[in-house]
Amino acid sequence: MAVIFLTFLAGLAALFGISILQYTLAGFRLSSIVIVAAIGLTVIYGIRGFANFAYGDLMTLGAYVALFVNMNLALSLIWGAIVSFLALAVVGILLEVLIFSRLEGRGPVPPIVASVGVGLIIQNGINWGGTTQQWIFRIPAVTEIPIVPGIGFHWIRDFGTFVVGIVFVVSVHILLTYTNLGKAMRATADNLELAKATGINTKRVTYAAWALSCSFASTAGILLGLIGVLSPTMGFNVILLIFAAVIVGGIGSPYGAVLGGLVIGLSQEMSVPLLIWLERPDVLHLEHSTAYKVAIPFIVMIGVLIFRPWGIAGRPPAFARRVFFMERLTQVLGRRGDATEPVQGEGGG
Amino acid sequence: MAIDSGTWINVGFYIYVSIAFAILALGFNLQWGYTGLFNAGIAGFFLIGAYTAAFAITPPTPPSIGYPGHLGGFSLPLPVGAVLAMVASGAVAALVALPTVRLRADYLAIATLAFAEVLRIFAINLESITAGTIGIPGLPAPVEFNPPDAFLNATVKVAVSAALILVLLLVLYFMAESPWGRVLRAIREDEEATMALGKNTFQYKLQAFALGGALMGLAGWLFVITLNYIEPTGSSAATTLGFAPAVTFSVWVMVIVGGAGNLRGSVVGAFVIYGFQWLSVQLKDLAPTELKEGIPYLRLMIVGVLLIVLIIYRPEGILRERKRVLR
Repeated sequence: MAVIFLTFLAGLAALFGISILQYTLAGFRLSSIVIVAAIGLTVIYGIRGFANFAYGDLMTLGAYVALFVNMNLALSLIWGAIVSFLALAVVGILLEVLIFSRLEGRGPVPPIVASVGVGLIIQNGINWGGTTQQWIFRIPAVTEIPIVPGIGFHWIRDFGTFVVGIVFVVSVHILLTYTNLGKAMRATADNLELAKATGINTKRVTYAAWALSCSFASTAGILLGLIGVLSPTMGFNVILLIFAAVIVGGIGSPYGAVLGGLVIGLSQEMSVPLLIWLERPDVLHLEHSTAYKVAIPFIVMIGVLIFRPWGIAGRPPAFARRVFFMERLTQVLGRRGDATEPVQGEGGG
Repeated sequence: MAIDSGTWINVGFYIYVSIAFAILALGFNLQWGYTGLFNAGIAGFFLIGAYTAAFAITPPTPPSIGYPGHLGGFSLPLPVGAVLAMVASGAVAALVALPTVRLRADYLAIATLAFAEVLRIFAINLESITAGTIGIPGLPAPVEFNPPDAFLNATVKVAVSAALILVLLLVLYFMAESPWGRVLRAIREDEEATMALGKNTFQYKLQAFALGGALMGLAGWLFVITLNYIEPTGSSAATTLGFAPAVTFSVWVMVIVGGAGNLRGSVVGAFVIYGFQWLSVQLKDLAPTELKEGIPYLRLMIVGVLLIVLIIYRPEGILRERKRVLR
């Protein structure tokens, strides 16, 4: 697998010049962040069954907690990350207790509305009570190691994000496969009633899932601040990217999230050379073409939503594939019109 | 003059912006309140309507130094602009609805929010079409007075928007009470049962979504002829007058406050929530200086709190939907 990929990369580099490596590097860096965030988001999606629109802003909050420790308490960013990890776990449990547990069993829309409210409060709370300006973390100065001319390798920004990404993926795998809590989480995500019936304390599992989800948000937010700058909208700006990763991978599946994160991160960054090509006057003369790179993941997502709504990695429920296919087919053939509306029974009232 | 003209211009601004929001809310109410389709891309359909109208009704603006120019400038009459805006937004809404309307509410929300954000990225960056972040200034008002008269101008704008909303309310009332409206509510309550009664629910959902989108486009047109300037950024998240996601969230609050599934609710919600925002701008000068900067943020925080509190404790809003009992 790795060999194939490296050969593929070498081929790309030979075809498009060495600069493609730079985009690949950026792609993997972004992927690591998106993967960590997407795992956190998909865990709550799986267990509580709603899309947490506040997730981006929870990432922002995590980054700012770490910034506070990093700047105001003048500690290393590692300490900031640890404090923020724990603080956000508490925030997650509080959110469930105060807000989302009250919306249980009311369908997907009320929790979405409430989560948008939470996001607005966090984002504008930082703007209002804290600062509207941009910040960067204080990290030790590192010189970039040149790999090839023009492409540097930054130990913390590049290697650090990869390592954190890999550590988080591995620990989630261990958690879900080898621990009781992880197994209980999977059971709850699969079927809440059945999990209850087998004696799983689903309340506790839900709290654990919130804690895990939000602390992953904090780490993803810190990584995001590390490769760029911190601003009150930093998290909200990437929330759709993370939703895209979750949907592409298949909602509720942490393993899917890893795959989705890779697809989304790489497709966004590696589309840059293509977009630069489109900018050439003899091609399309597209202005500011690289600004569109953030639209690429959505196009991937819409494609997945239309053709494989259960995700590229997920397996459709046994009957869904057939039903979905037939539905699509009848729609294409225009046969759905068979169920014409009866004219009678419409009037009166 | 009974009231001085400065106050009237200010109050007039409040009225016609509230009405633009009320039309957005009516569109969203048609989609979510009646049919149960949760649209998170209101800002996107609003943007399409506004830009279509702007292209149609402005005089041509050639690119010059410091201005990239924009598409069109067809100098069409204003009502034609309104029709074009509705058609464009409605058509795009239908296109968006085709693949997404079958999806579960959460997928639909994510897909529509993504759609609106992609549109905004295009509006910001496609400078030769939209003039980018510089925006399109000098859009025509309903009646151009000569010499310019701000008082009469505001009066005409209020009259046009008031007439528009009254007509809309009347039309929507009859649509909602018609058999068609009843099918929409049936889909919201129980889609499978409605299907079992032989209704092609997909078709109805498509129609409701497209019509809602067309209404949002009409709101865009009203926005253009009353504010006479558009630009795509709404840069800080705190601006609600523009095409940023904050517009979408504000419209949600309006419909939820007013009460989903009833027309009066959307209008009342729009006037209350925008009134709250307008007042906070009006009273800005009274606030202590250290608070002044933060007011837009504080306001959005309150919107957030309102969303949470209302959805938990009073999901039916101020004016609850009338219970309909079969006799």
